[in-house]
Amino acid sequence: MWRTAESPRITVADFFEAGRVSLRLDWEANPEAAVGREITEVSLNRPGLALAGFVRYFAHRRIQVLGLAEMTYLGSLPVPERIARLQTLAHVPAVVMSRGRRLPSYVRQALLPLRVPVIRTHLVTGHFMNAATVLMQNMTSPRIRVAGTMVEINGVGVLLEGEPGIGKSEIALALIKRGHSLVVDDTTILTRDSTGAIHGSAVPITREHMEIRGLGIIHVPGLFGVASMREGMRLDLIIRMQKSPAGDDTIDRTGLDTQFRDVLGVDIPLITVPVAAGRDLTNVVEVAALNQRMKQMGHDAARELDEKLKVALARKD
Amino acid sequence: MSPETAQKNAGGSTLTRDVSVLNRYGIHARPAALLVKTATPFACEILIEKNGVKVNAKSIMGLLTLEGNHGAKLKIHATGADAADALAALADLFERKFFED
Repeated sequence: MWRTAESPRITVADFFEAGRVSLRLDWEANPEAAVGREITEVSLNRPGLALAGFVRYFAHRRIQVLGLAEMTYLGSLPVPERIARLQTLAHVPAVVMSRGRRLPSYVRQALLPLRVPVIRTHLVTGHFMNAATVLMQNMTSPRIRVAGTMVEINGVGVLLEGEPGIGKSEIALALIKRGHSLVVDDTTILTRDSTGAIHGSAVPITREHMEIRGLGIIHVPGLFGVASMREGMRLDLIIRMQKSPAGDDTIDRTGLDTQFRDVLGVDIPLITVPVAAGRDLTNVVEVAALNQRMKQMGHDAARELDEKLKVALARKD
Repeated sequence: MSPETAQKNAGGSTLTRDVSVLNRYGIHARPAALLVKTATPFACEILIEKNGVKVNAKSIMGLLTLEGNHGAKLKIHATGADAADALAALADLFERKFFED
């Protein structure tokens, strides 16, 4: 029922912006060439073999990392030879220099006219390779944008969904007042990360705002403090709010039959709660989150009671 | 793709219509509120799409996340009995630049 997922394509400029702080990046050369330059293979490569002359198998679609090994090797060659070997890097998305090293003048001379973006990281090579791989995988992980408000309740990530005007934002507001946190109001981006967990986050431009009917747009951390917001949260539970006519038999009254929604290939528990005038759903949502946490800890109240009942009834046979 | 594909919709299939953001500041808070106000009375489901991303036209925050800048090409999808009227009403707002400029 949800739109098909997209796996975003990323450019060198996107990668630089996303990793600027966490990977401690600076531009070393050709930053303008990074715009629109797509990274078609989301991985990294140490181009030692290619620089040594073996180009039959060269992962040229990946970002190339020049570490101490590559630089020492190049340094061992006569200067014209170094420049010739660096031509191998003509079509790579970008070159990264680790340990904050600046480009030696011969490398600059070779790479500048090739219009290859060169990035400097202040991390050591191994650490950069690990962190950059995770970052790129998360940037390109499958994602969908769904209509729903996401909150964090005692460590449980809950997505509230239901048609516009049903009261998702009002419940989120009430939960914030009780000390829980808002992840995002109204429009949630769900991604499947490299570990297979589903994460919810906001579209950056509206991250800190909510719209409450009658009040208009409010700024959540301004009113309730920074603790009232979370930047992202694992999705543990979906609560579907539904206006249901009397006698609706689709509502589970025992909690024995857990329903799931397929989110990017991962089954997420789904609860449908009926909405009626005067019914305070804040308590219901809060308890649903706690109940989900109990289940994750291995306690299922509905099942445990049912087992007890069955034993008690068997004795009366 | 023709700019106007809306027809009478007796069945309840999805009708679509292409629109452009003509006002200078794009879909900021006021135009978003105007769109929501116009869309909400219709019973049909209305989605607005930009570059493959669809948001509900009855949600202000949803419309704001669309980042509908001046010049953006959008597509309105409406599903339900009153879809044709909804499309006409919303397209009219785009054409009138949300009464701005």
